[in-house]
Amino acid sequence: MKYIITIVAFIGITLLILLAKAISNSELIPGDSFRILLGLNILFICSLIGLIAVQIFRLLQSVKKEITGSRLTLRLVLSFALMGIVPVLIVYLVSVNFLTKSIESWFDVKVESALEGGLTLGQKSIDILMRDIELKGKSIAYSIGNSEPDQRDSLLTDLRVKFGIQDAVIFDQDSMIIGVSSEKNNLIPPIPNTEDIERGGQGFFGKIEEVSGEQIYLKTFTPIISKSAMSKKLILQLTQPIPPSISNLALSVESVYDEYQQLTYSRNSLKIIYILTLTLVLLLALLSSVAASFVISRRFSAPLAMLAGATKEISKGNYKKIIPEQGKDEIGVLISSFNSMTSQLGEATRSSERDRERLEDARTFLETILAHLTTGVIVLNGKKVIQLNNISASRMLTNKKITMNNEPMKEVIARNLLFKPLYDFVELYIDGNKNNKEVSQEFKLNKDKQERTIMLQITPLIGNKGKSYVLVIDDISEVTQAQRHSAWGEVARRLAHEIKNPLTPIQLSAERIQHKFKDKLSKEDSDILERSTNTIVNQVNALKIMVNEFAEYARPPKIQKDTIRIDNLIEEVIDLYEINDIIKVKKDKNIPIIYADQNKLRQVIINLLENSQDALKEIKNPKIKIFIKKKVNEVELIVEDNGRGIPDEIIGRIFEPYVTSKKTGTGLGLAVVYKIIEEHEGKINIDRIKNSGTRVTITLKAEGK
Amino acid sequence: MTAYFMHFFKKIKIIVVLVAILLLVAMANKFTLYDDNKILIKDVMISKNNNLYNVSFIQELKLDDLIKEAIDKGIPLVFKITLKIVKLNKISPDNTIKKEVRYYRIKYKALRKIYRIFDINEEKYEYKNLDQAIQKMLKVENLEFSFVDDGMNYELWLNVSLDKKKLPKPLQVNFFNKTWSMNSGNSIHKMEN
Repeated sequence: MKYIITIVAFIGITLLILLAKAISNSELIPGDSFRILLGLNILFICSLIGLIAVQIFRLLQSVKKEITGSRLTLRLVLSFALMGIVPVLIVYLVSVNFLTKSIESWFDVKVESALEGGLTLGQKSIDILMRDIELKGKSIAYSIGNSEPDQRDSLLTDLRVKFGIQDAVIFDQDSMIIGVSSEKNNLIPPIPNTEDIERGGQGFFGKIEEVSGEQIYLKTFTPIISKSAMSKKLILQLTQPIPPSISNLALSVESVYDEYQQLTYSRNSLKIIYILTLTLVLLLALLSSVAASFVISRRFSAPLAMLAGATKEISKGNYKKIIPEQGKDEIGVLISSFNSMTSQLGEATRSSERDRERLEDARTFLETILAHLTTGVIVLNGKKVIQLNNISASRMLTNKKITMNNEPMKEVIARNLLFKPLYDFVELYIDGNKNNKEVSQEFKLNKDKQERTIMLQITPLIGNKGKSYVLVIDDISEVTQAQRHSAWGEVARRLAHEIKNPLTPIQLSAERIQHKFKDKLSKEDSDILERSTNTIVNQVNALKIMVNEFAEYARPPKIQKDTIRIDNLIEEVIDLYEINDIIKVKKDKNIPIIYADQNKLRQVIINLLENSQDALKEIKNPKIKIFIKKKVNEVELIVEDNGRGIPDEIIGRIFEPYVTSKKTGTGLGLAVVYKIIEEHEGKINIDRIKNSGTRVTITLKAEGK
Repeated sequence: MTAYFMHFFKKIKIIVVLVAILLLVAMANKFTLYDDNKILIKDVMISKNNNLYNVSFIQELKLDDLIKEAIDKGIPLVFKITLKIVKLNKISPDNTIKKEVRYYRIKYKALRKIYRIFDINEEKYEYKNLDQAIQKMLKVENLEFSFVDDGMNYELWLNVSLDKKKLPKPLQVNFFNKTWSMNSGNSIHKMEN
């Protein structure tokens, strides 16, 4: 574009110079070339108009599309164009007026009169000279006509010299030279044309001749009337140059007069040419200034448009927009400052973004923790409306993983009255006077016939938006159960330790007493002794069994894991039982191998089958069903019977020692089962079947999981 | 389809602009070259002596008052006679074999109040009266040229026009004045073998 503008400017200036030269010096550029030059100028003007029209169209399109900087460019273009157009128009009008008047002033009446006077003066001078030669010619012709033919030549020469004539020639009517006399010796003058001789024969005839436009000659033809009537008719031709002073002056006046007349005649054309040229110059200047105004406007508006564009980008959050620096003027300083500001803004935004991300991370981290907490967390405002809760809280209160935000806690509790005691406590706390202190309370709730221990902790928070309360609801049933199991384990260990040791000496002592005194006593006493010692031995054995079971329950967790197939293990155990015909096993295909202690699991199965067997006594059509199911990464073992079932009052504590529905037994069987499954990181659940019977569900991890 | 035409138009628009400019120039040229049959060629006589041809003709010159005034104001008028021998071809375009250009001119000499004429052979004639001078110009004689006739079909094209290049510059470039556009057009004559 830069090169195009340069070339166009060069062409425009060249055309203008040529046009000006052509006007000032008409000889420099001939008429045809001048027309071509005019045509080229008009073509150039048309091109400029086209170029400007395209530029205006594009600019208006840009304004319509609201492209940044286009309005400023339009305003600048209009300003620059007006700044150029107004003074140039004034100059043009003044010039046209001046030119017209100047051209008119050239053709002053006085000048024309002076020139005509000069010309007339020249003509009169020549006429006087002509009259003089006419008289001289007539005199010479008279003398020659009255002389003898043999005296003509000498007389002609004498008279020519006497009258100061340059050339004198005598012709006859056939243009034959009869006599010659000339200042230039031996020079024969050119023969005049027949027309002149004929006219000369009829009477005096004079003419003016120019030689090369520099010298004027007067030529006269005078008939010679001879005294002899028989002689031929002769014509005398005299040639006399006009003195150079008069000749040059007359020719000069004629030349100027000619030029003046030509100018007068072409006055209107001259005006048209000058005005046309001036108009072309005006148009060239105007259009060039408008075209230049586009370039200049764009140069001015470009950095500002870039600034505006960059501002928009920044408003959209793009702080990487840097404008190329331009010069050291005010705009350059502005751009530099803008870039600096953008850079600082970008840095501040990035810093803010980093802080926000850190905050977001922290919040996400907290939310993740809260979401994964088994403890329910609820934030209440002073009106007991839930502000925030985690999944565990909603699961506890609504059994669903939903948010309870902005819900009054009362409404949530109304849908699940199990937690009403908790809400009553919360309400009492918030509405009470001592709500600035952190409090905690344990609640025993009966959920699905199972006693659950819930711990509630309330912590007041004072923030900008008023007072709020953080409720931490923790189901500590498992913990309390584990604590109970742990306590029972300790009891069992101590019992086993304290009781087992004296049992053997007691048994041995009883047997020794029986053995030593059996034969020494009367039959009656001996029977009493035997019965008593047998009772001691039997009771000791019973105690030993009980102690062994306690020992088993209290033993430290020591298992030896190996890969086993649970289905094979179950079939192996079932084979030991005589009642195996009432046991039905149903298993899925491709049961995964598990990694477990085979002996311990065998004990688990035995304990469960013995429990079922006990429960099935006196039951018609007894059945034990065992299901082995393949789950995702797990194996599920279900043992069902249609026995008496477990009473509701003990089912919640059935895995605790000494909790049993049987009349005999230690109540340690299921406690041991629970302990073994726990040691295998498995799950165990026991529940009543709807009509009758019990279902024990054990879930164990598959190998490698 | 519209997009295609727009694309096509964009491609050819520079050509369209150039054609428009050429048309404008041609129209302007036609306008400035306008003539009104102010010169009429008639009575053309062509004589032949061996390879030397001699052409004479009479012309009618309709000189309006403006031109006569121009002559009286000392503006020289130069008339250009263009003679062309054109070979007629049956298939290909006709071509010019020979071209001869001659001039005759008239100029008023204010000092002597005479009209001076130079004919096509540069012979000088002077007249006191403009009508006499014009009468002299009407008859063009002895326009001689050599040409070897090979028996083919030839035509003689005669054209007389006012040579505007010889006018003063203001009159030359005055596009809007038709006074100075004088052209006879081509007077065509069969050349006898």
